[in-house]
Amino acid sequence: MPLDDKVAAAKHIDALLKRLIPAGGFQLKWRITVDPAVPENSPERPAILVELGGPDSPAVLAQNAELLRSFETVALKSLRLESEEHDLVIFDCRNYRSGRLEELTQAAGHAAERVRRTGQPYSFSPMSARERRIVHLALKAHGDLFTQSEGEGMRRYVVVSLKEEESRGNSAR
Amino acid sequence: MANEQGGDMRLLVEEIAKALVDEPEQVQVSAVDGEQTTVLELRVAPNDLGKVIGKQGRTARSIRTILGAASMKLKKRYTLEILE
Repeated sequence: MPLDDKVAAAKHIDALLKRLIPAGGFQLKWRITVDPAVPENSPERPAILVELGGPDSPAVLAQNAELLRSFETVALKSLRLESEEHDLVIFDCRNYRSGRLEELTQAAGHAAERVRRTGQPYSFSPMSARERRIVHLALKAHGDLFTQSEGEGMRRYVVVSLKEEESRGNSAR
Repeated sequence: MANEQGGDMRLLVEEIAKALVDEPEQVQVSAVDGEQTTVLELRVAPNDLGKVIGKQGRTARSIRTILGAASMKLKKRYTLEILE
C-alpha cells in the first residue's frame, strides 16, 4: 500500500495495533495522527504519527527504544512501504523522537567542532538510517565538512571529516 | 487468551506474521514446550519467507524483540524459529 491514502494507512495501523497489543499482553494505548504538526527545525515530515503511551512505556523505550522501533518496522512492512517512504510513518512514545533529534543535533555540533580542532575524522556510534539522516542533515550547513555513512547493516555509522582532508587523502605527502 | 498477567505468545507471533505476508492463510505457528523455554515455530508460504525475515534479518529481529518484551511478563522464555 503506497502512502497515497493516509487515512486508510492510519486505519491499517490502528487495526494492526488492536491485534498485536492485546495478544502481547502489553499495557499500551496509542493515538494516531494524520499530518501531525512538527517543530520548525525538524528534518522529518511524517504523514502519520503513532504515539504509544501507558504503563508499559518504559519497556517501549528501553535499550534505545528497541521495542518502539520494532513496532514501527512491523507497521512499515505491513503497509508495504518502499524504503524511501519510511519517513512517512513515525512511532513515538513520551516524546522520545524529539529528544533524540535534539541529542543528535547537539552531538553533530560537537563532532563538527572536534573535527575542525583536531583535523581528524570523527565516527559516530552505529545508528538507524533515520538517525543517520538527522546527523547528515544537521551537518549539511557546514560547508567545510564532509559526512558519509560507513559499515554495513545494523553497524552502519556516520563519519565526519574535513573536506580538504578528503582531497588530501589521495596525494602522497 | 490475553489477560492482565500477559498475552498469548503464539497468537502474537501469528498476528505479526499475518500482517507481513501476502498469504496470511498459510501462516502457522506451533509451540514446542520445553522445561524453561518454549520454541515457537513459524511457517509461512515459501514466497513470504523474505517478508518475515527482511533485509539483513531486520524484520525477524523486530518480531523477536516484540516477543521478548511480551514474554518478560510471563516469566518464561520464548524463542522464535522461522522454518524454511
